[in-house]
Amino acid sequence: MLIQLKNITKEYDNSSAAVTKVLRGISLDVEEGEFLAIMGPSGSGKSTLMHIIGFLDRSTAGTYLFDGENIEEFTDDELARIRNERIGFVFQSFNLLARTSVLDNVILPLTYSKMKDHVALATKALEAVGLSNRLNFLSNQISGGQKQRVAIARALVCNPKVIFADEPTGNLDSKSGTTVMSILGRLNDEGRTIILVTHDRTVAEHAHRIITIRDGSIVSDEKNANPKKSEMIEEES
Amino acid sequence: MNKYFKQAIRGITHNKSRTFLTTLGIMIGIGTVVLVLSAGEGFKSYINSQVEMFGSNTLSIETVIPASTKQRNANANTSNNIQNNAGTNAVPITTLKNKDIEDIKSIPNVKNAYGAVLSQQIVSYGNISKNTFIFGANASRFDIDKGVIASGRPYTEEENRGLGQVAVLGSTVATDLFGNIDPIGKLIRVGNYNLEVIGVYEPRGGLGTTDDDQIFIPITTLQKKYLGIDYLFYGIVELYDGNKAETTALDVTDMVRRNHSITDPSKDDFSVKTQAQNLETFNTILSAVTFLLIAIALISLVVGGVGVMNIMYVVVTERIGEIGLKKALGARNKDILFEFLIEAVLLTLIGGIVGILGGALFAYAVAKIAQSFNFAWSFIVPLYGIILSLSMSMIIGVVFGVFPARNASKLNPIEALNKE
Repeated sequence: MLIQLKNITKEYDNSSAAVTKVLRGISLDVEEGEFLAIMGPSGSGKSTLMHIIGFLDRSTAGTYLFDGENIEEFTDDELARIRNERIGFVFQSFNLLARTSVLDNVILPLTYSKMKDHVALATKALEAVGLSNRLNFLSNQISGGQKQRVAIARALVCNPKVIFADEPTGNLDSKSGTTVMSILGRLNDEGRTIILVTHDRTVAEHAHRIITIRDGSIVSDEKNANPKKSEMIEEES
Repeated sequence: MNKYFKQAIRGITHNKSRTFLTTLGIMIGIGTVVLVLSAGEGFKSYINSQVEMFGSNTLSIETVIPASTKQRNANANTSNNIQNNAGTNAVPITTLKNKDIEDIKSIPNVKNAYGAVLSQQIVSYGNISKNTFIFGANASRFDIDKGVIASGRPYTEEENRGLGQVAVLGSTVATDLFGNIDPIGKLIRVGNYNLEVIGVYEPRGGLGTTDDDQIFIPITTLQKKYLGIDYLFYGIVELYDGNKAETTALDVTDMVRRNHSITDPSKDDFSVKTQAQNLETFNTILSAVTFLLIAIALISLVVGGVGVMNIMYVVVTERIGEIGLKKALGARNKDILFEFLIEAVLLTLIGGIVGILGGALFAYAVAKIAQSFNFAWSFIVPLYGIILSLSMSMIIGVVFGVFPARNASKLNPIEALNKE
């Protein structure tokens, strides 16, 4: 089992008297190689859950085992190391470094790792998302779909076990969105675990398993027997 | 380390005009430090050249009021208020005589010596007149002093002994009185006597009233005909071996004490100084002035450092999203801390380097201006000044960069990401 959550809760102690309960006892197991979608309306707690699973945040109570290791005992530096080596993030708003080349953007996670041959690894990751002809373009000189593919290359470059995608198609037109989903699908076919957070049913249907969260609790956990396959649509270059 | 530099350089080149304005305070501070140190070195080189001209292998004997006498007068003043103390220091010491100079010449390491007396007289030629310093000295002064006589000749010791009415003019005096006329052989009126101009010096340059503004005449003429005295104001002793100046100074002291029948050193009415001692006094004063100016420059550096800190706080706020992203991609707090710290240090270092260049440029201009006024002023940027400036800029970068950098490193990655 890759990810085991047991009774995870998250509370925010605001300055006002009320304690906001964002997650109310989430228990979830994810196998290696799964393609999981977490659905829910905004405010449901799905982003908070992804932050906790993605080691960006800590739970208030409950246990989280990743690859059999108890995350609660990890120091901040060790969590940073896990984020660097074992997972990759793709964000809704791409979060590329401005006025920086595509290649340097993909190299960025490598600079915080112990890996060598940064240029070769980054070039390979960009080839995997079909952008080997854009290496020296600046991040503001490419289209939104290309930006998200750069972000996927950046998530891939350290060869992680899990890729977290938070609304990856949220800022994209349907054509670019389809391309991004086909790339994520292909990465899953290659054996990588994908955890997708979205409020969009049609996007979630690419996953093999869909869980729905409402008000901090899992309300449904269903297998998707017939996951949608997107064709890679080549953008004009 | 390399990776931190890459990110820091990206940050600095992000907004170039802001980078320039941020580092302006550091530039001015470091520029001032370099200018002060460099000008100090230039001034030192000028003073050394003056000493060279004066003769570097020399001792000077000056008259002083004996320490014990001063004490007695002070006591007298406090015990008896009727006595006016105005005269206490004005009483001239009349004990240093030409005989002392002649006797000093017999000391082994002494090559030559002369006594000197100064006065101020109205000097006139035709209808031009001028209040001028008159310098009376033995003819041996022309052997010791490095000044060059441009035309004519110096006076001889025979002319000196015979109360010769001859004069050698400093270049400024010659130009002021004679303009384009050749002064040699002309008679000038100095006080109540007519003196024949027998020589004119080349310009020497310098600060304030210089040798160029003086007239040089035989000491006996000045003593007997003008002042009616038989003592010297001071004496200059030339040595064979300047390295033995200290011991020779002691020999000279013993000799003069014997002549003046002094047994108690506290009753010395003269003091013998080596050029090294004279330079030391000058260097002490110069260092004090230099330190004062550098202290002022340091204030500018602190203000500049606060400017850098201010901007670094702004930069941290601006890049909250980027910091969050980097943390999500695996940057540790330490990585973020170093990136911002190195950015701050690079900022101050750039300011420091530009400041060094600017300060050196100003110092070069000062040296050129001084040289155009005939000062033997060298343009020197001391290496220790450059090292000092660079290390000061880096220290300022670290000191004022560490708080913003710590703030950046402590940011929560989710909050930081959500700000984007």
